[in-house]
Formats: sequence, structure tokens, C-alpha cells
Amino acid sequence: MARETLIPAERDLDTIDIDVNVGPQHPATHGVFRMVITVDGEVVRDLDPVIGYMHRGNEKLPENCDFRQVIGYHDRTDYLAQFNTEHCWVEAVEKLGGIVPTERSQYIRVILAELNRITSHLMFFGAFGTDAGLFGTSFMYAFRDREYVQEFFEEITGERMMYNYYRPGGVAWDVPENFKERCNQILDRIRSGISDLEGLMIGNEVVLARCRNLSPMTPEQAINWGLSGPLLRSTGLAHDIRRAEPYSIYDRFEFDIPTGTTGDVYDRLLVRLKEMTESIRIVEQALEKMPEGPIMAEGMKRILRVPAGEVYMRVESPRGEYGVYVVSTGVDKPYRHKVRGASFCNISALREMSVGHFVADVILILGSTDIVLCEVDR
Amino acid sequence: MTQEAVAETPAPEAGPVVRLLREVMPGIQLDITATPIDECVTVRRDDFSRVMETLFRDRRLAFAYLRCQSGVDYLTEMESVYHLYSFANKMSLAVKVRFPAADAHVPTVSYLWAAANWHERETHEMFGIVFDGHPDLRPLLTEEGLGYYPLLKTHPLADIEEWQEDILADIDEAKKAAYAAAGTAPVVDEKAMKIQIAQQKAAVITKTRKEAREKGLSTEDEKAAVQSALKEFEEQLARQPQPGAAAAPPMTKVEMAQAKAKVITNARKEARAQGMATEDEKKYVAEKLKEFSAQLEAGPAAAPPAPPKPPMSKVELAQAKAKVITNARKEARQQGMSTEDEKKYVAEKLKEFSEANK
Repeated sequence: MARETLIPAERDLDTIDIDVNVGPQHPATHGVFRMVITVDGEVVRDLDPVIGYMHRGNEKLPENCDFRQVIGYHDRTDYLAQFNTEHCWVEAVEKLGGIVPTERSQYIRVILAELNRITSHLMFFGAFGTDAGLFGTSFMYAFRDREYVQEFFEEITGERMMYNYYRPGGVAWDVPENFKERCNQILDRIRSGISDLEGLMIGNEVVLARCRNLSPMTPEQAINWGLSGPLLRSTGLAHDIRRAEPYSIYDRFEFDIPTGTTGDVYDRLLVRLKEMTESIRIVEQALEKMPEGPIMAEGMKRILRVPAGEVYMRVESPRGEYGVYVVSTGVDKPYRHKVRGASFCNISALREMSVGHFVADVILILGSTDIVLCEVDR
Repeated sequence: MTQEAVAETPAPEAGPVVRLLREVMPGIQLDITATPIDECVTVRRDDFSRVMETLFRDRRLAFAYLRCQSGVDYLTEMESVYHLYSFANKMSLAVKVRFPAADAHVPTVSYLWAAANWHERETHEMFGIVFDGHPDLRPLLTEEGLGYYPLLKTHPLADIEEWQEDILADIDEAKKAAYAAAGTAPVVDEKAMKIQIAQQKAAVITKTRKEAREKGLSTEDEKAAVQSALKEFEEQLARQPQPGAAAAPPMTKVEMAQAKAKVITNARKEARAQGMATEDEKKYVAEKLKEFSAQLEAGPAAAPPAPPKPPMSKVELAQAKAKVITNARKEARQQGMSTEDEKKYVAEKLKEFSEANK
């Protein structure tokens, strides 16, 4: 039988589909992630994402921690958007407990979350350039600027990656005195960095040739698959949780929601690039308005007990909608702690995005979803 | 716990979305829960599919986006929660469906929202909730054939990591050696004994049932046979000399500490009632403590009798379960089983255990 299928018959060339494993340890999968790709020649016929290599019980563990201890687990859920994920958790606790954070701390939170969005997108451009065949060039440019912001975060929080800085009711401690000057320095850096990246990626022949019209999505498809963030906006739908359901103080700032037109990989790039500029705008406004004052709400108890109830809190993380569903029973620990990772939902549509494209392009499509495997597997 | 809390509070008023839903689907029972952001309704399982289809298809609602699906374990009951968003009408809604834990079935919604596919797969593997009609309920995050559902409240957090098993065994052996050298009897592990007895009981039950079925007894007779066999077993057990049961067990350290704490609290209370100064109070407490330790030294009989042990608490049950798993794994490894067989073996043991503890 094998002989018949492998040796071409005279009249017509019979082929068989082959399963190819990409990953779990593979530089192009952005972490421990496996795709079982069924290929017909070079064309993808089927794709089965296999996840769970990084599963650490990130929903079970917090059920045995008190409300403040959980903050650290959110750093480790999406390790590229730590401030955003922390923001989601502390907002959820505040909503449940009826805690009102102080003005100053809200501004600090927004500024750091937006800067964090920029570092996350810089990371995306660095990694995506490598996927697209620009080798280390984009990586070096992106990381040069990311490093400045990273150092700034370290100055504030004392940590390079796992910040653990937001608290229900405020932030852990006040920012340094030179906060505003440092922020302005960094914004200048990022502005020039963005224009560098724009020149490198957007006008790039390789990127243009490979990314345009690759894996286009319609808004209906994107909605049905639960996509969010830049993937959703690239289809032309101007949906941003910061605008649609403003949390924290996002309703006080002016910013645009960049959208694409066709939802292809190139649009996803453009949306992210424009988003960085919008984040800069938000940070500028926030710096202007930032008041002096306390950084922690009054009357916060050492052991935090929030009243019984439940809430599904969501924020716009760089990857999309990051949500936490918390059920509290009135004790010092959450009863249920469910994390809705943006990457988790985005990656579930990978089959939909990839079938019919070339194997080499699947790497680009995967790269354009900007997954963080820790958020997928939790 | 939450059920009670929800039941105590007066029913919250229906918001605009729920009022709209009532208008679109009159005659559907909707229980409203108040949450800080979204409106939240609980529907009956029989209505669930109909409600979800209407939410998805009706133009006035048009909830085209499923943002999150989660399972919640309320011990006797379970819940599946759906958070929906409508791009067309800019509104959000949470829909909950409740069902008994013993009958954890709920119709799938993955044919409406493709996003539900992975969410439901995850909830299935974490809670054991079966989504009827789901195209592919393979485990997503954990390995296949795990045999237990990690996010259930009855599932213990592994207090003993696998790599520590050897170390713990070493410690046990060292302890035994130390006891032997000192010439005292080793402390009896009551929990392990209880489990052992429970396992023996379970074996008796299974055996009697099997025999009854072979004989072709009716269900009533089978029950009676099982009960008489159990009685016999218990009588047998009572006749056996039980280690540690003959003499009253000496106070454990924890018990001692608790008793001491009680003495201190009482002494303080008394001192305050008498209006003593702080210094005097301290002295009084020290005196009482001295008395207490003197009492202890005089003999265990003088110590207050230990309260009767309550039936196994949930935590104890969970710990016992963890132990069963560990032991089963160890046995399996000693017998050189393959990974697959080991899993099966562990699952079997767990089943036995849960039957014994019913």
C-alpha cells in the first residue's frame, strides 16, 4: 500500500498528508508550545495547537492565598504586561470590596500600565522581526529602547520583571522624586525608537511581501472566536475596553483607537505601532494632571476581607482582554479565581487563521498573535 | 457559602439588560444576582440552551462575543458562568447555570460561539463538568487520563511533592530507629489506621455485593447482606486489641499548646474581671501556668479529657486522599508498572477510597 502511495502513478501524482510537529521546544513558538500541523506539500491542511506545557495551577493556587498575595501570581500570568494584569486584579478586589484608590495612585497606575504596553509591543516587534526573517536587527532596536523603560520600572518597583507594585487601594510605595523628568526622558527615547522601528518594519520589503494579505480575518470571525486587542482592532472594529467600558481613570484621557482594514498580519503590525503612539499620548496627559497626595487609601486593613460577591473584571492588556472572575465568600481568600487570558482565546483561533496558508507563514501568523505562553497555560 | 449570602440579601432589581431579556423571552425564570459591574442572571438548566440561543441570535440582544466561561464548584452544586458582550448594543451580561454536582451536565454553547470551545474544554478537565454536544472534550492543559479534577474543592493541594517522598520515608525510618533506641513505642498514625480500616470495610462491601449478585439476591436482600457483613466486620474489629487504645494517649504537642493557651486566656479574663493591674495580671497568669504544668506532671489523668474527635473534616479527607495517591503511586512503582497502568491503579485506589468514605 505504501508503495502505491509513495511512487507516483503514471497519470497523476498522488500525495499523502504528513503531520509535522513544531515545538514544544522551538525558537519560533515563543515559549513551550506545540503545533501539530498536517501539511499537503507546503500547504497547511489542519493545525492542532497543543498547550499546557507551562500549566502551573495559577487558578488553584490563589484560592489558597489572601487577596494581596495573589498580586504576584498575576505578574507571572502575563510576564510582558505585568502592570496591566496587576491592574486587573487590584481593580477586581477594589470593585468587590468597595475600595476607592487614591487619585495619585490611579495616575501612577495608568502611567505605568501604558509604559508597560509600550514595552510589550516593543517586545512584539523584536520577536516578530526575527520571525519574519530580519534576524537580530529588529530585536536589537526594540530591546535597546525596551531596556530603558525596564530600568525605569526597576527604579520604581525594585524588580526587573515581577513588579508586584499595585495594591488594592493604591500602590505599594510612592514613585521617586524625579518621576516626571524620567518619564519625559523615556518618552523621548521611545518616540525616536518608534520612528526607527517604523522605518525598519513598516516600509520593509520583506515584511510587506510576506505579511500583506496573510491570514485576513473579518470582524464577524474575530468576534465569534473571542479575539481581542490588536487582533480584533486590525479587522476594523474600534473596540477598546479603555474606551468601551472605562476602568480606573481612562475616561479622563483623549486617545484614538487605531484600527486596520483587512485584519491581515500587516494590519496587526500597524495597529500595534500606532497604539504605542497613543499610549505616549495618554502618559503625557496623565503626567500633566498627576496630583500630589497619598498613595494608599485610608483604612486599609492588614488582612483584607472583601464582602461576599462576585465580579468579572477586565482590562485592556497589550494582548487584548485580560479578565479575572473572582468569587468571594467574605473570607480573606478568593473562593474562585478564574483568569481569562487574552492569549488563550487568541491562540484558540490559530487553526482558523492558518489553514490554507504555507507552513512558513504559520510562524508569522503565530508571531502576529503575540502570545505569551504563561498566560495561555496559566 | 455564597449561596447563603446571596439568599440572605433581598433580590436586587433588574437592570436594563435583564428587563430587555424578560421582554424578549417572557415566562423564563431569571434569578438576578448583583455584581459590581455586570448584570447577572441565573437560568434553569432546562431553559439554558434556549436562552443562550436567543441571546446570540435576537437582534435586540445580539450577544455575539463570549468573553469568558468559568466553572465554579460549590461542593454540592456546580455552576457554569458565561460572560457575554454585545458589540451591536454595547452591553454586557453574565449568565449562570446551576446544577447538582452529582449530575454535572450542561449543554454546550460552542456551536454558537467558537470561543466557547477551549473554555469548555478547560472547564471540563478542571471540574469534570460535561458539556453535552461539545465536539472535542480532550484535556487541554493537563495530561490525558489524569483521573481527577484539580480545581474541585475536594482535590487537595499536594502538600507532599513527589520528589519529597523519599526524604519523608527516610525521616520516618529515622524516627522509628530513634524510638527503638529510646525504648518507647512509636506514635500511632491514627489517620493511616482509619484509612486502613476504611479500605478493609470497602473490601468487605465489594465482596459481599459480588457474592450477593452471584447468588442472584434482590436489591433489598443485597443491602441487608452488606449491612450484616459490615456489622460482623465491626465486631471483629472491636475484639482486636487496638494499639494505643488501651492506655489513654499522651497529649500531643499541639493539644498541649492549645490547653496552655486556654489556661492563659482564662487567667487573663479572671484577672481583668477582678480589675488587677497589668503587673499583677502577668503574675497571676504565670502562677496559673505553673499550676497547669504541675498538674500535667502529676499525671495524664489530671489533664482535661480530650474532646471526642469529630468525623473527618474536608481538609482531613483531602489529606487522606493525597496520601492514598502517594501510596498508590509508590506501590505501582515498586511493582514496576508502566505510566498508563500506574494511572489506572491510582484511579482505582481513589475510587476505593471515595467509596469507603461515603
